[in-house]
Amino acid sequence: MIKLPSIHIGKLSLLLAILVWLALLFVDLVRLFGMINEIDSGISDEITWILEIVFFFTLYGFYSYSIEKNIQSDFLNLLWRAASTGIFASGVALLIELFYMSLGDSTLASELFLKNFFYHVNFALTTIFLISSALLWKHLILYQKSKKVVKQWQAFEFAMLVAMFFVFFNKNNFDYSFFFGMVILLIISAVLSGNLKWIPYLTFKEKWKSLLFLFFILVCIGYLFRRFMAYSEAETYQVNLTDNLFLMALFGFIFIYALFSFLVTLFNLPTSSVFEQKLTEAINFQRLSQSIQPGENEEQVLDILLDSCMSASYADAAWIEINPEEQIIGTNQLRFLDEPTKHELSALIKNQKNATDWATTDKPEMLQPLTVKLTHPRYESTLLVPIVINKTAIGRMVLCKEVRDGFNKEMVNIISTFVRQACIAVENHRLLNQAIQNERYQEELKIAQRVQKALLPTKLDHPDSFGICAFSNAADEVGGDYYDTFKLDENRYVLIIGDVSGKGTSAAFHMSQMKGVFHSLIQLNLSPAQFMIKANSALSKCLGKNHFITASIFFIDIAEKKICHARAGHIPTLFYKAKDDKSEFMLFDGLGLGILRNKQYENHVHEKTFNYESGDILVLITDGIVEAKNQKGQQFGFERIRSLVEIHHKKSPLEIQNQLIESLHVFVGGDRLIDDDYSMMVVKFQDPIN
Amino acid sequence: MLRIEKTTENHSEILSLFGEVDASNSVILDEAIQELVDGGSKSILIDGKNLEYISSAGLGVFMSYLEDFQENGISMKICDLVPRVFEVFKILGLDQLIPIYKDRAAAFAD
Repeated sequence: MIKLPSIHIGKLSLLLAILVWLALLFVDLVRLFGMINEIDSGISDEITWILEIVFFFTLYGFYSYSIEKNIQSDFLNLLWRAASTGIFASGVALLIELFYMSLGDSTLASELFLKNFFYHVNFALTTIFLISSALLWKHLILYQKSKKVVKQWQAFEFAMLVAMFFVFFNKNNFDYSFFFGMVILLIISAVLSGNLKWIPYLTFKEKWKSLLFLFFILVCIGYLFRRFMAYSEAETYQVNLTDNLFLMALFGFIFIYALFSFLVTLFNLPTSSVFEQKLTEAINFQRLSQSIQPGENEEQVLDILLDSCMSASYADAAWIEINPEEQIIGTNQLRFLDEPTKHELSALIKNQKNATDWATTDKPEMLQPLTVKLTHPRYESTLLVPIVINKTAIGRMVLCKEVRDGFNKEMVNIISTFVRQACIAVENHRLLNQAIQNERYQEELKIAQRVQKALLPTKLDHPDSFGICAFSNAADEVGGDYYDTFKLDENRYVLIIGDVSGKGTSAAFHMSQMKGVFHSLIQLNLSPAQFMIKANSALSKCLGKNHFITASIFFIDIAEKKICHARAGHIPTLFYKAKDDKSEFMLFDGLGLGILRNKQYENHVHEKTFNYESGDILVLITDGIVEAKNQKGQQFGFERIRSLVEIHHKKSPLEIQNQLIESLHVFVGGDRLIDDDYSMMVVKFQDPIN
Repeated sequence: MLRIEKTTENHSEILSLFGEVDASNSVILDEAIQELVDGGSKSILIDGKNLEYISSAGLGVFMSYLEDFQENGISMKICDLVPRVFEVFKILGLDQLIPIYKDRAAAFAD
């Protein structure tokens, strides 16, 4: 497989151009030789013209390739390339001219072959300069491409192509057709030369440099053109290479564009600082609009803001004041100002009535920047700009100038925009932080929820002689309801239900303490009342000042079918007696845990002992069920629970429980949530199955 | 919603409660009582005529002052509770610690 070497188009076309030029030189010299010796060399003018055109094409190929390859958006670089080529071509031409001048009237001076050779050299270098410059101009013209400009350029290139072949038609005479073609091409050149959009992007310094380069280019064009004219007047060259429409039009084009650029750059010099200013503003705006990166803080945004606003308004001094209650640290931003002067100025501003009115407005989000005249020896005008975040003014920026009325409308507008943008950046930063924080809290709450779920027993201790089930639901992620069971021995079981005052996280913490207290004290073989007394004593040390816990405890002896019950401020438990088909809430004295945190508590706790039979039911509840409200504001109440249990007493504990929960939800109303924790435990006594 | 009205009658500071006391507004009740205590009041009467509901958090407020009042000789009485609210006090056992009266007259008479 033949691997085609990647043909270097640049080098190839350059080589070709040199060869063509040599051929051109050879052909012309041969023709000259024939003329001198009066031999018809048989070489027609057309061969020269064809070679000339081929030379143009190869040069075009080489330059369009090499410029494309080394394309840099650096305009100065482009201009320098054109200028340096021009200087080189002119330099060579000048040397040749000087050489002939030094020769004087010697025979060598009238040596036709040498003259012709130099003519060809001049021709080649000038052509190189013109074509390369034209291609460089192309880049400048097409810097901000629009369809229209591209079309114009294509038309120009086409017209130039036609001009190249014009020589066959016109035979190098300066006649009307030449003149006509020249005018058309110059008009197109002038139109194209209107595209000077690259100039404003130059900085002030670059503009000076480009003026210099353009000046060189203009001088070179002038000089080379004059050389060309001198050649065509001399008429010592039977085939004139240079009176070519293509070359003449190129001269015109390069000259017009360079002249336009020169003048526009020159006139742009005074306003270039404005353009630079706008560019800086755009960049500053972009910096402000980037939301604060991780690791950065609000202070840095204010820093950028102050610098941007100062440069936008040419302020001589400035500072940012942040209200002390805002939690931005180290915001004492001062620029070109010392602390005493700042205090002086602050005092002066305070004395201005409109400034105090402005500062005490009750609608900070509507606040506009305010210009204030000062009677300070140095600073004569200030601009106050509010910094408003989340509709509250967190502070203000003060810009000072040494001239009177130093802030025009445009400055105020751009500064307002800067401030707004900075405020948005700070707001976004805060919102993001908040969102992250919330996310973290949610995570923590989920963990708390999992931990708390684990505090409620998954398996309830019970013998065959009673069935049991329990249910708990928290209004928030975590709640303060508690239930548990404990097996003392084969015949004795303990049930407990509790409710911590309040709800949410604090209630959940206390609920976990309740569990600890229950499992510690239950080991001590206490009576229900003793249990409550000890629990009160323990919890008095644990609970917050205004927290308490209510609880009901049941010691069930299945051998004697006896229940011993103590109630500590808890919602009464429903006891259904199967024999009488009647149920009642067992309400008797009993104070909540943690309400009396001394010995007196002992006087407020009582026990109740009663017997049960098969079919009897205990329903332990928390106040969330009783107090659940419907849309009319009515409470679910004790009576509904009682009648529901009486109706469904034949069912299993789980069925009774589900019935109660369902009725509760129906009562509260479909989608509405019960805004308190609620729990229940249902126990049904039965004869053992075996 | 909770609204508290403060009046003085018979050398007692009277706090009349309107609406409901729950976890979200129990702080208001707490502040109102604390204000009276700070003001050197020795006799406080809570009028519950228009109190429709009190949650455990609200009861916690009364409870939290029990010891302080006993130590400093401040008397706190409650009167005119609607049955539903009275029941809540009774279930918790607070009726044994805070004297609860049928109406203002009964409270002042005692």
